[in-house]
Amino acid sequence: MNRGIFGQRRAWKITAFLLSLALGVVSIARSEGGRRQAGGAAPATGEQSALIDLTGYWASIIDEDWRWRMITPAKGDYASLPLNPEGVKEADKWDPAKDQATGNQCRAYGAGNIMRMPEELHVTWANDNTLRMDTDAGMQTRLFHFDGSKWQGGPPQWQGDSVALWEKQFDIRGAGRTRSGGPQSRKGGSLTVVTKHMRAGYLRKNGVPYSANAVLTEYYDRYDLDGQAYLIVTSVLEDPQYLRERFITSGQFRREPDASNWSPAPCRPLWPRPPAGLPEPELGLGGNLF
Amino acid sequence: MELVLLILFAAGGGIISARQDQGPSQNGALHDPRIGSGETILPRLEPACSLLPAGGTCLEFDNGELQLLHVQDNVYMIGGAGANITVQIGDAAVMVVDTGVAEMSDKVITAIRTLTDKPILFIISTSMDDDHTGGNANLSQAGWALPNSSSNPIAEGQDIPDKTGLTLPAGAPILAHINVLNRMSAPTGQKAPVSQNRWPTDTYETESWRLYNGEGVYIYHIPAAHTDGDSIVFFRRSDVVSTGDLFTALGSYPVIDQKKGGSIDGFVDGLNQIIEILEPKENEEAGTYVIPGHGHICDRNDVVNYRDMVTIIRARIEAMVKDGMTLEQVKAAKPTLDYDGLYGATTGPWTTDMFIEAVYRDLSQSKNHQRRAAGTGGGE
Amino acid sequence: MLRIYRVRVVALLALLALVTLPVFGQADLAGGWIAKPHEDLPERGQGPEIGDYTGMPINDAARMKADAWDSQRWEMIEHECTEHPADYGPRGPANMRVWADMDPFTKGIRTWHMELMYMLPLRSFYMDGRPHPSKYAPHTWQGFSTAEWEGDKLKVTTTHLKEGWIRRNGLPRSEVATLVEFYIRHHDVLTVVTHVKDPIYLTEPFIRTSSWVADAALDVNFNLYPNYCIPSVEVPHPKGYVAYHLPGKNPWLGEFASRWGIPTEAARGGAETMYAPYQRKLATMPAPPPLPVKVQQ
Repeated sequence: MNRGIFGQRRAWKITAFLLSLALGVVSIARSEGGRRQAGGAAPATGEQSALIDLTGYWASIIDEDWRWRMITPAKGDYASLPLNPEGVKEADKWDPAKDQATGNQCRAYGAGNIMRMPEELHVTWANDNTLRMDTDAGMQTRLFHFDGSKWQGGPPQWQGDSVALWEKQFDIRGAGRTRSGGPQSRKGGSLTVVTKHMRAGYLRKNGVPYSANAVLTEYYDRYDLDGQAYLIVTSVLEDPQYLRERFITSGQFRREPDASNWSPAPCRPLWPRPPAGLPEPELGLGGNLF
Repeated sequence: MELVLLILFAAGGGIISARQDQGPSQNGALHDPRIGSGETILPRLEPACSLLPAGGTCLEFDNGELQLLHVQDNVYMIGGAGANITVQIGDAAVMVVDTGVAEMSDKVITAIRTLTDKPILFIISTSMDDDHTGGNANLSQAGWALPNSSSNPIAEGQDIPDKTGLTLPAGAPILAHINVLNRMSAPTGQKAPVSQNRWPTDTYETESWRLYNGEGVYIYHIPAAHTDGDSIVFFRRSDVVSTGDLFTALGSYPVIDQKKGGSIDGFVDGLNQIIEILEPKENEEAGTYVIPGHGHICDRNDVVNYRDMVTIIRARIEAMVKDGMTLEQVKAAKPTLDYDGLYGATTGPWTTDMFIEAVYRDLSQSKNHQRRAAGTGGGE
Repeated sequence: MLRIYRVRVVALLALLALVTLPVFGQADLAGGWIAKPHEDLPERGQGPEIGDYTGMPINDAARMKADAWDSQRWEMIEHECTEHPADYGPRGPANMRVWADMDPFTKGIRTWHMELMYMLPLRSFYMDGRPHPSKYAPHTWQGFSTAEWEGDKLKVTTTHLKEGWIRRNGLPRSEVATLVEFYIRHHDVLTVVTHVKDPIYLTEPFIRTSSWVADAALDVNFNLYPNYCIPSVEVPHPKGYVAYHLPGKNPWLGEFASRWGIPTEAARGGAETMYAPYQRKLATMPAPPPLPVKVQQ
């Protein structure tokens, strides 16, 4: 057997080394946030793995869909929504007085619509693996679990069951790509939250429904500009029972310095008042514009 | 080094700093290197600079305060020397529209000389304003007098400087509407408001004057707008219009010099006249470029927005005059509020109040408050 | 022996290269995108109503300009072929195509390009660090854009924009404004944040988000067809005609509020109308006057 540099034994050692290196790169690249773990330590918690800081107070910025969000729109006003005929039929049954009487006044404040409300958010860590989001509108609490689903059956709640994970672009190495047009390595990231098992609620305060089988996927991104932090929430709601396609919206929030604008109020189906005017005759339904 | 700089420009980008030590000689004219002056000069930027898109900067001085930019084809602009200066390079000569302020004229000459070594043969003054004519004397001195035809006092009595015949005496002619000469000069025995070496040497009285410098150059008279002596210049093949203070891109409401024959109606008509000769390339963008009296290079859309603004403000003040409002009441009503952020000023030589006063006076003095059917609009 | 060694090294290096290749499914913005206007569709399609300034952080100058606006502006031959400026383009019609120019040697991206279906405005986002043009450079509808990655968001900064609008009912955006955008991709969903700073007409930044889904199936709605606008006289007007309303003379300003039962003051907009506390104010405001009978019929 040759024992020089080109010998078999040395060649196999080099082979083993390169294989280990390759496998190590794969595991690092696929780990959440690419964080190294000490030998034998517990997996990083949701808080430890946080890629962006979402804690604090956030004020919603209502400069889109204003007359469907700031006030209660008129019955039958379904503009922009990709409803199917079943969804329209269900929405036409809206009866806010009945909702109030039957304890369903929070139907529009469920997870499917709560992020579209004019409101303040207060985001904190309830524990290492649970991000808590309180809203002053409707006094709702959402819990985002980083350690898996907490669903154990039983009657669904307005906010459903949310599973969260931090996501970022694949860590790019090699070929100088990070210097030449690719996303920055080890920077950025977003929060992805998938919510199921929601109690059937309203996509809009005037009774536009989503079913108990709806699945809500949200992406929370943050950007900072001119010393101000902003939160962007992209929501994708899938509900084949009432929607003919995924309902995709995006909302923006501004970081508040303190709780001075925090103003908790219970669910109010008809507040501020619905309009007394005539509905637009050519409202139409949403979907592909062209 | 010079080859590297030329290559940089040919690549379509880049700004270079002028070597400040290459200024003009004492009398304001740079010597042509062909006659062996021994001076080292910067490379001529013209071919490479002409490859830049509209607004591409060929050269800058003083940390960008004075800039030489390519506009389109043969036409360039110098910004930051008072009013905007237009430089057009023909087959054998250079035409300059407006010359900026006197104290910047040396740098303007250097900028032109780094662009081309062709002689300045024509200077056109769009009005008599100091920031448009302050450099007339220096640039005329730096240019060449047309043989046997120039009445420029700078050229008087000068012999042809060299026996080879490759240069001509200094004293490029200054062209303008006759009202500019009338207002700059004074009858014999009286003191002229402006020194003689800035006066136009050649004037026109008609609606227009056509020249040729490698392409057709049309000088149009716009009556009774900014003053009664305004001209605009249209470079036909380069497709560029120099408007002087008939149009400014941001920073100032129309300057209506009523003492010198300006009027609001003349302004609106003049802007409509300018718009008639502008043609956008597509989607109301590019095509004919416009070098305004001040501000960035523009196109028809920019001039149209300016015309719309002037027309609307005139209509508002006219309605107030009809209602019998006093000047103070008109000012209090803020008829220019939606444009003040772009064009207004509270201090300086031309303020928002001065503009409102000029329009108010103009409209109040007019016996006929009915606007002509042509030139106005509105869904009142 | 040497050959075997080399083969193994090459094979392992190839394996190494494979696992370090970027997963473009996340980072890549290139491809076709179908706009999903599930918000503000009436405004983005048929157009906003006159006098609807709700949720806009505007000042008095912007209100005055919008109050003077008349839709006959689009009959003016000089305005007929106006294209949507860069900040309004995403509001639609906005099916979009994105592609990149790569450096042939480093394979880095030099420039991102995008084209929208309405009048095919072409935008280029330069990634090479070049400076923005001179203050004397012309302004264009799409402006001049440079871009850089901020984490996994593509941040695009645009200057040199022509005068435009934030809503197609006359609410202006001046030519001194700057636009910052963030292109954020999550799987097959693209969110574009437009952040407009305009010291002339806005009291604070105006932030809007729009959504697309990847056009993986080359849906038939994805159609970027050639577009060439030739202005022509549709409604004859005298030379120099300008469409406008004098202050206090726009007869349609109040219809939006009346039609939807929104307090008149709220319809006038302002930054205050964007935030939750405004709902408490709304609850105390009087209802608007009813629509004129002839409009109701």
